[in-house]
Amino acid sequence: MKLREFIDERIELSNLIRSQFSEYRVSERLNIFYTLGFVALAGFVVQFITGLFLLIYYIPHPQYAFQSVQRIMNEIPYGWLIRQVHVVGSNLMVAVVFLHMLSVFFMGSYKKPREFTWVIGAGMLFLTLTFCLSGYLLPWSQLSYWATTIVTNLPTAFPIVGECLADTLRGGKAVTGFTLSRFFGLHVALLPPLLSFLLALHIFLIRRTGISLPPWHASEGMKGSGHNIEGMPFYRFMLKELSIVMFYLAGIFFIIAFMPTLFLPDDANTPADPSNTPEHIRPEWYFLAPYEMLKLIPSKFLGITVQLLFVIIFLFWPFIDRSPERNILKRPVLLWTFIVVTGLWLLLTILGGY
Amino acid sequence: MQRLYLALFLLLFLSSPLYGKEGWKRSFEEEYLKIFPVDEAPKRNVCVSCHMSEIMRPELRTIPSQWSNSWHARNNISCHDCHGGDPEDEKNAMSPERGFIGKPSFRDVPQFCGRCHIGILEHYMKSGHGRSLRLTGHAPNCVTCHGSHEIQKASIEIINENLCSRCHSYERAKVMKQALSATERLIVDTDMALSVLKKKGMILQKENEEFFRTHAEFRTLFHTTDVNLVKERTEEFIGRLRAIETRLSQYFKELNFRRNYSVFLFLLFLSIGIMLYIFYNDRGKK
Repeated sequence: MKLREFIDERIELSNLIRSQFSEYRVSERLNIFYTLGFVALAGFVVQFITGLFLLIYYIPHPQYAFQSVQRIMNEIPYGWLIRQVHVVGSNLMVAVVFLHMLSVFFMGSYKKPREFTWVIGAGMLFLTLTFCLSGYLLPWSQLSYWATTIVTNLPTAFPIVGECLADTLRGGKAVTGFTLSRFFGLHVALLPPLLSFLLALHIFLIRRTGISLPPWHASEGMKGSGHNIEGMPFYRFMLKELSIVMFYLAGIFFIIAFMPTLFLPDDANTPADPSNTPEHIRPEWYFLAPYEMLKLIPSKFLGITVQLLFVIIFLFWPFIDRSPERNILKRPVLLWTFIVVTGLWLLLTILGGY
Repeated sequence: MQRLYLALFLLLFLSSPLYGKEGWKRSFEEEYLKIFPVDEAPKRNVCVSCHMSEIMRPELRTIPSQWSNSWHARNNISCHDCHGGDPEDEKNAMSPERGFIGKPSFRDVPQFCGRCHIGILEHYMKSGHGRSLRLTGHAPNCVTCHGSHEIQKASIEIINENLCSRCHSYERAKVMKQALSATERLIVDTDMALSVLKKKGMILQKENEEFFRTHAEFRTLFHTTDVNLVKERTEEFIGRLRAIETRLSQYFKELNFRRNYSVFLFLLFLSIGIMLYIFYNDRGKK
């Protein structure tokens, strides 16, 4: 009690907590999809903590990287658990971020005044994918080596600058120790602060503009959170968010228990061999759709241009879609575009898996 | 918005004459995968290119394809590893100065193969087969049972009635095979256990090396015709394999522990999640 008073006298912490968790209110109308952003944040925290532990034993050198990962898996006490959580967590985190973006799009939550929140969120999605790409190479296994070879070859589809771009990414004409060093630096030093900064900005913007309401409750106003709205205190909504985070963690352990090789197939247990291309190698599941699309379009330039165009449209969508109508169910053309694009993405991902 | 849809439609329309080109998928993958690091690029092999060309006699043209399906090829043992010479220099590929040996005579085949398969050579030379070859030059040697370029992974099934009875009765070979069978079964089981553990992420270098050594030494026994020696050594091999098996069973226990521990964590977080959700709902009712 004395400690609390001691702190309150100086920084008024209790006031801050009361103002942000009790007096700050959230609409009762927010459905389960509104918790996905918090789950993605929790996913990032899990990746950060497990990554720190892995960093203690991992050696970023082509000669020792594979061995050091094997050591983590088989010799370091509970190293297998930390690595499995990191591996499974990264895949589930990508899935959650995808779902979050889809639900935000479906509920029209990107519209004025939340355009910047969308742009930063979309930027974080691409940053998460860069995180995954750079982390995938680090175990230096056959799987990681050849999957990275495929993905780092994708920029070569660009005329003139393509080769230069791919060479800069890899540090040469092929995936080598230089690529490992670059990707390691990117993965542990550059991306975490960058993503943390964007996360902070994203949360700041959400607090400034408030959480949006689902469009079918739009008659009740635009704001689903704030100090002056009807609803439950924020800490109660956090209980809901935390319960979904617990289900997310349970999902990770379910996969580790019953499908431990789901993201670590046979080639992940074989050291990288640049002179031996394994059969049926393919990129990670979240890169399968763009990879398959590049295959389908015979002109590489056209293929990459279409994809780049999609990325730009996706990133700046709130500034392209200027219609004031938020309810996608009242906009059949947009609804069908959403269904067709999502369906195509799923189809290409499935096709890419075979 | 309408202009955007029109632009996207036009782009997709332009990219539609796409899908019918035969072999497009394979050629794409080859183009994307076959970029080697400068020092890792596959080296030229003039033995293969020359043997596959029109200048070669027809019966010699099949050698590269036979070799490419062999156990040697799968373990990166190439032409020059056995026959010597320089596979990168067309002019000196068959120069004795570059160590070219070429095809050994029938009598010299055991010495030729025995440069690598040392233990096997020793047992073979002491066997009836080896002694007979040395004396008459007309006894079964390595290629009689294993073939030359299409060599496959050796197994106990090579000792069979069809093969042995080409020269003599199967009785003695049958006794030998029976004496080797128990150890062979244990070898197959241990090999399978090691590959199951590898699939689950447990690469056990020490156990793998020990197994490889035991396996290779045991294989040498296949080349003796001394039944007593086989019976005597079999006990030793079984002992060594059982010791590896005991250690592997510890790893399987560890895998079980990992699964059970993960199930515990799964149930723990699931329960916490359910409790929090119930708590959230209760607070709403109040």
